[in-house]
Amino acid sequence: MNWEGLLGTAMVGTGRRDLPADVLDGVATVSAEGPEATVLAAAAVLGAYRRAGWTPPAWGGEVVEPAARDERPVCSPAAAQVLELLVSRDIRVEGGNELLIGHWLATCARAGQRPPARLVVLLLRLATATRGLRDEVAAIAGPRGEWLARRNPSWAWAAPVAATDAKERFATGTWAQRQAVLTALRRTDPAGARALVESTWEQEPAATRAGMVDVLGVNLSDEDEPFLESTLDDRAVTVRAAAAALLDRLPRSRRAARMAQRVRDLEPPEELDASARRDGITDQREHGHGRRASWLIQLLGAAPLGPVPDDLSTADSWVVVGWTMAALRQRDERWLVALARARPTPEVVAALPTAEAIAVVDRESTVDARFAGLLAACPGPWPAEFSTRIVVRLRGARTEGALTLAFAALARNLHHTALPAVESWIEDTPPDKRARRRTLRGLAHALTIRQTIEQEFPL
Amino acid sequence: MGARWTEARVLALAPDAGSARAARSLARPGRWSDLGSNDSLVWGKCQGSARDPYQVTVDLNEPAFRCTCPSRKHPCKHGLALLLMWAAGDGSVADLDTAADFAAAWADERAARPTRRAGEPDPEARAKRLAERESLMTAGLDEFERWLFDLVRQGLAGVRGQPYTFWETAAARLVDAQVPGLAERVRSMGSAVHVRADWAQHLLTHLGRWYLAVRAWRGRAGLSPASMGDLRTVLGWPRRSDEVLAGERLRDRWWVLGLRQDEDERLLSQRTWLHGEHTGETVVLLDFAAAGGSLRVPHVLGSVLDGELALYPGSAPRRVLLAGDPTTTVGDGLPVTDTVLAALDLATTWQAGNPWLDRLPMSLGAVTVIPGDDTVLVDRDGTTVTLEREFDPWPLLALSGGHPVDLFGEWIGQRLHPCSVAVDGELISL
Repeated sequence: MNWEGLLGTAMVGTGRRDLPADVLDGVATVSAEGPEATVLAAAAVLGAYRRAGWTPPAWGGEVVEPAARDERPVCSPAAAQVLELLVSRDIRVEGGNELLIGHWLATCARAGQRPPARLVVLLLRLATATRGLRDEVAAIAGPRGEWLARRNPSWAWAAPVAATDAKERFATGTWAQRQAVLTALRRTDPAGARALVESTWEQEPAATRAGMVDVLGVNLSDEDEPFLESTLDDRAVTVRAAAAALLDRLPRSRRAARMAQRVRDLEPPEELDASARRDGITDQREHGHGRRASWLIQLLGAAPLGPVPDDLSTADSWVVVGWTMAALRQRDERWLVALARARPTPEVVAALPTAEAIAVVDRESTVDARFAGLLAACPGPWPAEFSTRIVVRLRGARTEGALTLAFAALARNLHHTALPAVESWIEDTPPDKRARRRTLRGLAHALTIRQTIEQEFPL
Repeated sequence: MGARWTEARVLALAPDAGSARAARSLARPGRWSDLGSNDSLVWGKCQGSARDPYQVTVDLNEPAFRCTCPSRKHPCKHGLALLLMWAAGDGSVADLDTAADFAAAWADERAARPTRRAGEPDPEARAKRLAERESLMTAGLDEFERWLFDLVRQGLAGVRGQPYTFWETAAARLVDAQVPGLAERVRSMGSAVHVRADWAQHLLTHLGRWYLAVRAWRGRAGLSPASMGDLRTVLGWPRRSDEVLAGERLRDRWWVLGLRQDEDERLLSQRTWLHGEHTGETVVLLDFAAAGGSLRVPHVLGSVLDGELALYPGSAPRRVLLAGDPTTTVGDGLPVTDTVLAALDLATTWQAGNPWLDRLPMSLGAVTVIPGDDTVLVDRDGTTVTLEREFDPWPLLALSGGHPVDLFGEWIGQRLHPCSVAVDGELISL
């Protein structure tokens, strides 16, 4: 047979080229009158012949190791459906679906379950675009997610990096890729990641060095102290600032000990010496404070915290600001509780355990914008009783703003048993209060979905 | 009844290759008694495994089969064997004036059945309309042949320079000639020649198949009912569903293998692929709705429908209609699977029966999904098939996790379009 010969004649046209005599040799004969009919008949025969005789080309690739087994039980079909509807945005919730997806992921993780494999791709795609969900998605996606992420470069953030593999990829990638490798390795092998940083440190430009120091913030520990201490002498100010910011979080560091010396008497210093400047103290003014007070705030913020004084209310304001900074950086719960009692701010409330934060909010007597700010910062999930109490208090407020300001926190943290309180509020809201009705309906919607999620995950 | 049938025409009625083989070995007078035929009937008794011989009758007009054997196949091997002996014309099946009692009784029963409802137009008018349609189609296909000849005479190299109306006009003429199926194929070629890298090969292959349809139409008097069914599908001459429901039926436990919906600017279509547990047949239910309309609710993937289907005339894999309400149970994965090579062999067998087929069902067993520029499936023998370019492989990869899976899909132009995958005994739509 001679398919190419047939194709040649057909392309040029039977008006200009005769059909080669051997076109159908060894295949068949056709009865057709005229060259056009013969070409078409031959095309019918050879087309079928080629199609029937087609065999797949040889494949020389290698089959990769399959994904490891996931021992967690798969979640209920109803739970899976809720997640699918949220991710695909077939249902939309005021304030963003991400909020509820985050709740779904957290609830699923608490129940020790996993989503069905078919939804893992949706989650990986979602968290590639929405960075805030990456940690939760990487955890919930399990071995199947890891296996997929290793096959798709855009999901590299979800793939744990083996130390041996990391070295190779760290040496050759773009900065974004190296950063991803380093961050991933830092999660599983902090020392290995630090060694990787040190291995190329001298050859890196300043911006990269600063970025690499930032990555050490993941899984930071006292083991990083010697390296960070040495980078305080770096020639680039950005690198020094990055190192100082991390050392602020390590109260057992040599730098913290030096700070402790400097703040012994709680007095603002007269001057900054070279050693304090080396430790990263600058002339930057803290909001509302003078030059010397600002120095003290920075020093206190980087110094180890001592025992909590009996009465914080008599302390100078700049001292409290400095202690607050230190308590937040060092995540010192005793100090945070005491500071919240004396002078509650959203930042401090956000760092408290839920029970303590709730107590702070409950102590507030007026429902105003300040109250809404504290409530918005209050970590969840909130217990049932507190949730209903909050809805009732917001409803009794004279101003509109508090509900709007705290909306995202309400949608995220309210216990679903507060739903009747929200619904009754909607019923009693006059139809002309459109904005409030819409906000409340969004809240009720979110609570309904949360209720389903909670019912589907037995705890 | 005119001339005796050829052996090929008889065997074309066989529901599968196994039946054809069995019928051949049974087509020896030794096992038979009371053989005879007249203008419209052929009959005989065949000694089978039961005590009483099976009574076999064939009505040549439709043709229609009747056999007292318990086989689920239709026609069964006895009916086919009887026709083979009759077709051989060696005198073993005598021409008789009176039919055997059992044959005559069945023929009477059939004649008594209300074949025409009251109010239906008289047969004369119907025959006239039919003749008009056929001559319209003949004229349209003659014109289409001249269009094909012009194309080949001037050469295919120039067609990419033709405006889209070149294809549209040819298609519109075919629609006028009541050949909408062929019209659709011509219309879609208008974009294929611009989109495809292998457009010349593609075009020439399809020109050959279109020309084959023209030639087949001209020779339709000699076509088997199955080939005539295939030809009518290509041309787009539909069958009325009551006509199909009155024809051949097949009862089985039908596994729902895969669902696929397509949409273009005119039409929504839905294909439901079914596999018969006992008959081993793969068949397809087609539903259509105008664009923007709504389709019949699909059958649940992975379920098993126990019931009777009415078969459209044509070659395997056949189009079917649901006859009555089946009972539904839940299945367990894919009922049968093949290696890639076995599936390709089956596809070739089907293509040999119907040269116009371009969408073939494939059930592949234990294939591993390999992502890449072209995602491929590798079976245990290391043979691969390539997936359609548009197919998003990641959900399939997530479901399989690199483990071998059973998968059902449609084979179109040497690429597989996956429809469903079996994971832990559950069929999941892709």
